[in-house]
Amino acid sequence: MLKILTTLAVLLGFSTTAVADYTFIVPQKPGGGTSVWAQIVATEMEKYLDEKIVIKHIRGARDIPGFNKFHNELQNDPKTIMVSHGGNGVSFLNEKVDYNYADYESVGLMNLNIIVASRKDHNPYSGTTKTAFAAGSGMIPEGIAMTLLKCGSALSTEQYIACFKRKVNWVKGMSGGERRLAFKRGELDGTRENPAAFKKHVQPTIDKGIAGLWFHHGILQADGTHADDPNYPGYQMEKLFYAANRTQPEGDLYAAYKLVKSFRDGMQKALWVGKGNPNKAKLIAALKQVATNTESVSAVEKKVGKYQWLIGEAGDAHRDTLMKLITPEALSTLVKFNNEAFGIKAVYKDTLVAQK
Amino acid sequence: MIEMIAALIGGVFYGLIIGIIPAAGATTGLVALFGVISYFAHEPYLGVVFLMAVVAASTTGDSFTAILLGIPGANSAAATMVDGFPLAQQGRASYAISAAVTTSTVNGLLWGCLVFLLLPWYTNLLMILGIPELWAFTVLALATVGFVSTRFWFRSLCAITLGIFLGMVGVDPNTNEPRYTLGWFYLEDSIQIMPVVAGLFAIPELVYGLLTKSRTATIVKSEVLEGMRVVWQNRWLGLRGGFIGAFIGLLPGLGGAMADWMAYGSAVASNPNERFGNGNIKGVIGPEGANNAQKATSMIPTVLFGIPGASFAAVLMSLFMYLNFELGTPDIALDTEFFTSMTFGFLGATILVAFLCIFLIKPISYITSVPYKYYFPVLLTLIVWTAMQYTGGWEDLAMLAIFSALGFFCKYYKFSRPALLIGFILSDKIEKLSIQMLALYDIDSLIVRPIFLILVLCILGIFTYSFIKKGKIDYA
Repeated sequence: MLKILTTLAVLLGFSTTAVADYTFIVPQKPGGGTSVWAQIVATEMEKYLDEKIVIKHIRGARDIPGFNKFHNELQNDPKTIMVSHGGNGVSFLNEKVDYNYADYESVGLMNLNIIVASRKDHNPYSGTTKTAFAAGSGMIPEGIAMTLLKCGSALSTEQYIACFKRKVNWVKGMSGGERRLAFKRGELDGTRENPAAFKKHVQPTIDKGIAGLWFHHGILQADGTHADDPNYPGYQMEKLFYAANRTQPEGDLYAAYKLVKSFRDGMQKALWVGKGNPNKAKLIAALKQVATNTESVSAVEKKVGKYQWLIGEAGDAHRDTLMKLITPEALSTLVKFNNEAFGIKAVYKDTLVAQK
Repeated sequence: MIEMIAALIGGVFYGLIIGIIPAAGATTGLVALFGVISYFAHEPYLGVVFLMAVVAASTTGDSFTAILLGIPGANSAAATMVDGFPLAQQGRASYAISAAVTTSTVNGLLWGCLVFLLLPWYTNLLMILGIPELWAFTVLALATVGFVSTRFWFRSLCAITLGIFLGMVGVDPNTNEPRYTLGWFYLEDSIQIMPVVAGLFAIPELVYGLLTKSRTATIVKSEVLEGMRVVWQNRWLGLRGGFIGAFIGLLPGLGGAMADWMAYGSAVASNPNERFGNGNIKGVIGPEGANNAQKATSMIPTVLFGIPGASFAAVLMSLFMYLNFELGTPDIALDTEFFTSMTFGFLGATILVAFLCIFLIKPISYITSVPYKYYFPVLLTLIVWTAMQYTGGWEDLAMLAIFSALGFFCKYYKFSRPALLIGFILSDKIEKLSIQMLALYDIDSLIVRPIFLILVLCILGIFTYSFIKKGKIDYA
C-alpha cells in the first residue's frame, strides 16, 4: 500500500528522472515494441545493478531522431544507454542518419528471427495471382525474400524488380494492428511477426487451418551465414529456395537480402554505450545475470521469444560481422530495389562501404 | 478489497486531474505512468484497477475545462465544448456539466456492462467489417463537418481544407517521401495532435478571456438537478451518442474524437430547427454519451486480439504488458481475475467519478467566476507541459506557437476551428484507408459488400443534407 501511495505522490509530481541512476534512450513512442522490451530489460537489470533505470523516449520520424541525439549529444554520458531496434538498422543502411554502430560498444543484443505466414486459400507460387502483403521499410527483408522465392534463380536485379511488381501486391499505409486484422480477415495473403508476436497473432490462424508457415529468415551466425531456426525447422528461406530451384540463392539481390535481414533481425534489440564508458563492465555484469536468471529470461522471452543474448564483446563481434556484410554490390542493389520496387526512398552511402 | 478500493480512488483522482488538464486526456495521462507502473509489479491486479480507473475518470473529467473555459480537456472533448462553453458563458456551467456527467456515466455503465456480453460475437463482427467499411465509416465522420461549419460557408470550407492539408504533413504513404515538411525533419513524423488542440482552442480562449473580460461568467444559480433532468428528457439522444461511440470503439484505430464528432453531427441533424453552437444542451448530451462508451468498447479489440481500439488503448496495452498481462493471448481470456479487476476499475471509477463530479459541480462551476488572471499562469504552464510531451524540445513549443496563432486567427475571423480539427484528425486515416482499399479491392468486389454500399449512400446523404441545411452553428 505504501508503494501505491508513493506511486501517486510521484505521479502528481510528473517527474521520475530525479531518482534515475541510468537512462535508457528509446527512440520511439511509449507503448511501442522496443519501448516495452526496454522496460522489461530495465526492470530486470535494476535487480542486479541495485540502481534505478529510467526510460526516456525520444520520438521522431522513423525512430531516427532519438538515435541521432544519442550519437550527437549523449554517447559520452556514462549514465546513458541507447536502446536500438531492427528498424534503426534498416535506416542505417538506407537513409542519411548521424548514428553509426561502429562508434559504440555493445552492452548486449538479441539476435532474433522473423517468421512469415501465408493464408491457406492463397498459393504464393501461383503464376496468376499476386500476393497481398503489407508494405513498409520494416518489411523490406520479407519483400525481397518473397521475390526470390516467387521469381526463382538467375535473374538480373531489373528482372527481379519487374517480377516483384507482377507478383506482389505491396499494400501501403498499414499499421501493425491493421496488418494483423487484414490477415485474419483474408484481405492480406501474408504477414510476418517476431516469434513471440507470431505465437500470439498468427499461430491461432494456423491452428484453425486458415494459414500456414511460409518462411523465416534464419539466425545470423558468427561467420555471417544464417542457420535454420530450431523453433521453425525446415522453413528457412534458403532451404525453401534450394528445394524449389535445386540451387542455392546467390547474386546481388541475395546479397542485399542477407545484408538487410541481418541488420534488422541480427540487432533486433540492442543496448549501446559510448566508447570507453566507465560503467560498461557493471552494465554487462548485470545483463549477464538477466540472461541467466530463469525468471528474468522468462520475462524477456515473453516479449521477443526464445533467443540468445550476445553480451559485451560477443555483441561487438556480432556487430563487426554485420559490418562485413556491407559490400558495394549488396548496398547498391538494396538501394535500387527499395527505390524501384518498393517505392521506399533510399540513398547509397559510400561511406558505409569505406568504413567496413 | 481495501487495497482495490484504494487503487480505485487513486486512479480516479489522478484521472480526474489529467482529464481536467487542458488538451491532456487519457493518452497523455497513461503515458506519464510508464515511469512508475513497475510499483504495481508485485500487485498487478491492483495496477489493472488503477489504470482502468484512470481511463474512466479522465474521460469524464475532460469535459470540465471544455465546458468551463472553452478549453478541451482532450481532443475528444472538443465536440462537447462547442455548445458547453457558451452555456458556461451564460452562467449555466453547472447545468452543462451536470448533463455531461450524467450522460457520460449512464453510457459508461451501460456499455461497460455490455462489453462483456459483446465478447462472444465480436470476432464475427470483425470479419464482416473490412477495410472498405472502415474507410466508409471514416468518410462518414468527415461528412459531419457540414454540421459544425459556421454560416460563413466559404470560411468553413477553407478551414476543413486547411485541416486536411495539415493532416497530410509528414511522409507520403504512397511514395515514402517527406510531404509538406518544408525540409523540417521534425515534421516527417506528422504534426502531433496535442499542440494542435492546445493551440487551436486552449491558448486563444485563455488569452482572449484574459484580455477582454475578467471572468467567464457570473453564476446565476446552481442547476445540477436540471442538468440530470434534461438528460432524461433527451435520453434517446444520449443513448444514440453512446451507441455511436460504442460502435466506433469496436473498430480498431478509428479513435474517440471521431465518435464524438459523429455523435455531435447526429445531434445537429436530428434537430434541424434548432440552433447549435450557442449553448444548446443537446450539443453536450450527444457527444458526451459517445466518449465513455467508446472507451469501454475499445477495450474489446485491445483485450481479445491485442489490437488497440484507440491511441489510449495502445498505451494501456503496453502498461498491462509491464504488469505481465499479455493482451490478445488465450491466457488473458481465461484470467477471470484480470477481467474482474478491469470491470471493477472501469465501472467503479465511472460511478465514483460521477458522485464526485455531482458533488463538485457547484464549487467547480464557480471557476467561471474566478478572474482569469488567477488561473491563467497555472493553465498556461499545464498547456505547455502537455504540448511538450512529444519530444520535449523547442520544436514542440514552436508548433504550439504556430497553432496558437492559427487559433487566434480562426476565432477572430470566424473560420470554423472544429471543422479544421476534424479535417486534421481524419485526413491521414482516410488517405491510408483509401490506399489500402484501392490496392486490395476493385469496383466488382466493392459493389457486393452491402454494408459498404449502405454507408456510401449515408455519406452522400449526410454531405448533401449538412451543406444545404440552414442554421449553421455559431461557434467558430
